[in-house]
Amino acid sequence: MGDIAFLLIIFFLVCSEVSKDNGKLKVALPTSEHVTKTTVDVVARVVVDDKGDIYFDGSRVDNAKDVEWGVRALLTNTVTDDQRHVQFRCDKSQPREVFEPVLQAIASAGGIIEAVGDNAVE
Amino acid sequence: MKRPKKEKKNRDMAIPTDSFSDIAFLLIIYFLVATTLIKVKSITADLPAGEKSTQAQSEKTPIINLRGEEVFFNDKKTSMKELNERLAALELAKQEAEKRVIMLESAQGTPYENYFQALAAISAHDGVVAIVENEK
Repeated sequence: MGDIAFLLIIFFLVCSEVSKDNGKLKVALPTSEHVTKTTVDVVARVVVDDKGDIYFDGSRVDNAKDVEWGVRALLTNTVTDDQRHVQFRCDKSQPREVFEPVLQAIASAGGIIEAVGDNAVE
Repeated sequence: MKRPKKEKKNRDMAIPTDSFSDIAFLLIIYFLVATTLIKVKSITADLPAGEKSTQAQSEKTPIINLRGEEVFFNDKKTSMKELNERLAALELAKQEAEKRVIMLESAQGTPYENYFQALAAISAHDGVVAIVENEK
């Protein structure tokens, strides 16, 4: 029994991925009928919260340019498209002036944007 | 003088493992309770990076304008539902790469909710998003 239990623990530890998101961020996600469950691994996570603050992998950054440099640095040694996905979470109330520079920064750095949203309830 | 004999302790060298399984199962239960399974749903948008085009796009390139809560497709007011239908009618999946481009322009103050829905519609119909940046 002990052996089986420890094997299960090791299995969970190996398979688990520690979330890099800052759990305190308040982000109301936008909705769409086209969202699908994400199957790709992301290299970085970018969040724009309800106050318009930008976070890159859980750490606050000053502006979109910092995001661009961060993504660019992470993608330096990438070979395939599968390694270029960047998760983007943004509060649905944020205006274009806030989110568009961040989207452009990710694109400029060569990232493929995985924009997170919720399923639209009809 | 005779040294006193050291008293041999009657030690059992085996480590008691009886409680290991209890500890292990407690750990498993802890992990199961403390773990949050995140099911992230998203859309994939590969925005063309690189040089900014100084030339005007071909007039035939479809353009979506977002002005606040309003949506325009080729300068005609529409709704998100109609936009989906019109994008589906373009059959972008069958087109060559150059003809899959859909321009996306948004006015100041456009909420991300609308932008996301337009982006999702374009991606769902195999379009390639080209963000239109207004000259400052």
